[in-house]
Amino acid sequence: MAQCVQSVQEFIQDSFVPMVAVLCSEDAERVTRKNSLSFPELLRPFCRLTSEGHLRDPNNQVVVVKGLRISVTGINTRPPQTPEMHRLLSQAVSVCQPPEGSPANVITAGDYDLNISATTPWFETYRENFLQSMPASEHEFLNHYLACMLVVSSCEAVPTEQFLKLSQEQHRIQHSGEYTHPKWFIPNTLKYYVLLHDISEGDEQRADSVYEDMKQRYGTQGCYLLKINSRSGSTGADEQMPDPWSQYLHKTSIHNPELYEESAVSNAVENNIGAEEDGLDPSIRDGPLVFADDNETHPLQLDQPTDAGYPSNNASQSVNNVDMTRPQKQASVTSHTTPTPRGTCLTLNDHDHIRQFIQEFTFRGLLPHIEKNIRQLNDQLVSRKGLSRSLFSATKKLFGGGKVPEKSIAELKNTAGLLYPSEAPELQIRKMADLCFLVQHYELAYNCYHTAKKDFLSDQAMLYAAGALEMAAVAAFLQSGAPRPYPAHYMDTAIQTYRDVCKNMLLAERCCLLSAEILKSQTKYSDAATLLIKMTSEDSDLRSALLLEQAAHCFINMRGPMVRKFAFHMILAGHRFSKAGQKRHALRCYCQALQVYKGKGWALAEDHINFTIGRQSFTLRQPDNAVAAFRHILINDSKQSAVQQTAFLREYLYVYKVRNTHSCIMEALTLFSTGEKQAATHVSLDQEFDRDLSPLWRELEERVVAVVNRGAVPITFQPSQCCLNSQTDNLRYPLAVVEEPIIVEVVFRNPLKIPLALSALCLLWKFTPKDFSDPQGNTTMALNDIIDTQVIPEFTISPEETKVARLKLLPHKTGELHVLGVVYNLGTGEVDNSEGDLMCVRGQQNLEIQGPRLNMTKEEKTSVTYGPDHRLDPIITPLMPLLEVALTQAINFFQFNT
Amino acid sequence: AEICITSMDNYPLYIRSIPTQGELKFHYTVHTSLDVVEEKISGVGKALADQRELYLGLLYPTEDYKVYGYVTNSKVKFVIVVDSSNTSLRDNEIRSMFRKLHNSFTDVMCNPFYNPGDPIQSKAFDSIVSTMMVQAC
Repeated sequence: MAQCVQSVQEFIQDSFVPMVAVLCSEDAERVTRKNSLSFPELLRPFCRLTSEGHLRDPNNQVVVVKGLRISVTGINTRPPQTPEMHRLLSQAVSVCQPPEGSPANVITAGDYDLNISATTPWFETYRENFLQSMPASEHEFLNHYLACMLVVSSCEAVPTEQFLKLSQEQHRIQHSGEYTHPKWFIPNTLKYYVLLHDISEGDEQRADSVYEDMKQRYGTQGCYLLKINSRSGSTGADEQMPDPWSQYLHKTSIHNPELYEESAVSNAVENNIGAEEDGLDPSIRDGPLVFADDNETHPLQLDQPTDAGYPSNNASQSVNNVDMTRPQKQASVTSHTTPTPRGTCLTLNDHDHIRQFIQEFTFRGLLPHIEKNIRQLNDQLVSRKGLSRSLFSATKKLFGGGKVPEKSIAELKNTAGLLYPSEAPELQIRKMADLCFLVQHYELAYNCYHTAKKDFLSDQAMLYAAGALEMAAVAAFLQSGAPRPYPAHYMDTAIQTYRDVCKNMLLAERCCLLSAEILKSQTKYSDAATLLIKMTSEDSDLRSALLLEQAAHCFINMRGPMVRKFAFHMILAGHRFSKAGQKRHALRCYCQALQVYKGKGWALAEDHINFTIGRQSFTLRQPDNAVAAFRHILINDSKQSAVQQTAFLREYLYVYKVRNTHSCIMEALTLFSTGEKQAATHVSLDQEFDRDLSPLWRELEERVVAVVNRGAVPITFQPSQCCLNSQTDNLRYPLAVVEEPIIVEVVFRNPLKIPLALSALCLLWKFTPKDFSDPQGNTTMALNDIIDTQVIPEFTISPEETKVARLKLLPHKTGELHVLGVVYNLGTGEVDNSEGDLMCVRGQQNLEIQGPRLNMTKEEKTSVTYGPDHRLDPIITPLMPLLEVALTQAINFFQFNT
Repeated sequence: AEICITSMDNYPLYIRSIPTQGELKFHYTVHTSLDVVEEKISGVGKALADQRELYLGLLYPTEDYKVYGYVTNSKVKFVIVVDSSNTSLRDNEIRSMFRKLHNSFTDVMCNPFYNPGDPIQSKAFDSIVSTMMVQAC
């Protein structure tokens, strides 16, 4: 697994935090709305406590609570339903991309140097979102509401009455039995009365007096006067205020799909959500169902038609932050670079007030409440056995005998074992364990979980047992001083039970994430990898992809880094990412894997990766990368079958074509390694150059010169060369004559196993006119007036064939000519005409000829230098007399001369 | 089934697999198994176990295949992948297959025209591998 920002302890503590519900009156909501925040949102940045809290456990030992975070949410916040959740998670992942040009982390393993991002923020984002959106389950209490804040504004006519209403409302929601959600931890939920005072509007004295009244009524520890909005929003825009909400509310803006460019991609997310839903535990599956028809059943919508002024009604608007942010965002500019300014009415003093309020609430309200409940539960457990011994010995035997009357519950038995009613005595110990866990008393928590586990197992209540096992393992790990090693097998059993017995993938996944993180912290990378790989399955591509990627990171982080396993799992992850519609992540995975396979001779694998990279880059509109990747497949001595090569070539041509229409850049289509380049220039014969006859011609010329010079050949004699090739002396610029053809021979080699069709093949040249007779040259003329370029309309090369193309130029003007290269249309060698027209691209290939290696002076011998080669740069001279010889019988002619 | 030989620095020298349509998968499997081979080699060095033993045994089983490894003294690695369902091949058979493979590999190396590090192209070697593949499938 990659490195994470949080430490393991922080991560686990933040995964399980005390939950607090909020019920807000309409006026109070209006006060917070001034800051474009709902009340829970207002509190969110301040929910981590900076100072330590203390409480006493049943044995009167002081427990220190450090760095506690509480979670404050609206009372009717619903966990997202399964499809919704998938969408959110997928968006969260696709938005979180590695920063451009992030510091590359080079890992050297054996002979590999790999560039790997050490952190994987998208995984952490996914994990955080996933854990936060876990629906509350029956078998555990960790994410059930422990307390409820009742918030009323001070400008209300009769605040106390309002409090009473809210309190009744809360009671009704919890106890009337009409609603299955939200879930509550303990029957007598802590109610905390908050009087919200708007300094800029309200009457401060009145607020104070109301607060005094409240203190009388609810006790000093049960209520609070929170003063905010010290300034009016309009004046506050000028100064630079820190915006603590930005990092929290960004996450809620994920709920708004319109904001993201990639929504089109990620909307296609998981095509197999249905399968996942089927795999769910019935109890969980009921959750969304309850909500589906819950226009009737949900507490806060029920009252809507009856009474508009009823507090819960506006609570339903206010607290449900998901719904609120959406219209708001849409109203504002739909781009998250310019979000609505938040907290404009708040000064830094107000921030402090809120912080104090949370501190006060936690230390005076919440922690004592938890302490009291732990004691009560402990007393219950002890008294039930009628023993005044210590808790642990008592609880062990607690359910040993009294089991028989409870057996009626067994009617509720489903596949996951039995389900207890919510107040069953068996659950009390689990409840106590959860409370202890939340206040970081891990030792007691572990003992309780351990006991609970035994009870549940003896009842065959598998879901409950798995939950207890999971938390027991976590609690054991978190105990300071590590009195016992981390029981990894507990986790394994829990995961297996969740997955196979309870068919609850969500819980199994949570368990797996926790366990993997813990194993990672203990550098047990191979165990973590096994765990992560086991958790991948067919039902969710996104999850599988993320877990496989983490497994790959595990392999590379091992003491002896397993590079190839890393690469292989990266490929698997990339595959799953692309199935999940996460194209960017997929591309990144494949690119990282390519580093391992590149240039190691594993041609098939390398081709496969390159092909995938090509495709992904293309769909992500990175045609340059796509072309590079595809070219790689084709130019390397490909070991693929002909069918594959056809497919590759077609894809390449297609991508290339699209790219060219994007940007009209003509680029070297260096598909073919033109074998030895051989250029025949200055062929002044009408017939084609014949290599075998050329010595004959040279001899003939020599004799003619000898005859002219009366028998002796002068030293300065140079045979006029008809053809230049790599063996001839190419130091001088060859001379060509105007109106006489120049022929260049280019050798093409087709490295592929499929035929290729080139069309419109011709030479590319540059011409500098230089008039040798007339000093004032006229340069503006049509191309064809300068040089006639012969175009070969069709040129097919069979598979793996080497073939020579003869390309002719006919200069009409004098000057300097430079043959630069060849241009052609490349197409698949298919007969299909309509398709063939589509599938060809214009390509260019430069002819660059390296001169002979120089080896004359010492300097040249010690270094590698090459001489110039001017084969392709002929000078076009004015008309010369052309001697035309017609030979009828060559042999006789020679004989005659001798 | 597949037979693969890689050089000291893990370049493939010879890969052959039947049936050919699953070739890519085989290549990935073999490549990944090299990690296990390297792990075993370094482990052997530490424990100072029997250095003569070139056969590494079952590297790891996957759902469909069993992967066996063998490493020569010059760190040339041989990997054989066989179908999990094939029960006729036991450890001993695999071991003898490796030994045969090693012998013919040595013959190839003795060829003065063979350039070490090049892919193996030898008819004799091909035929020996073919007979082994027939046996394995």
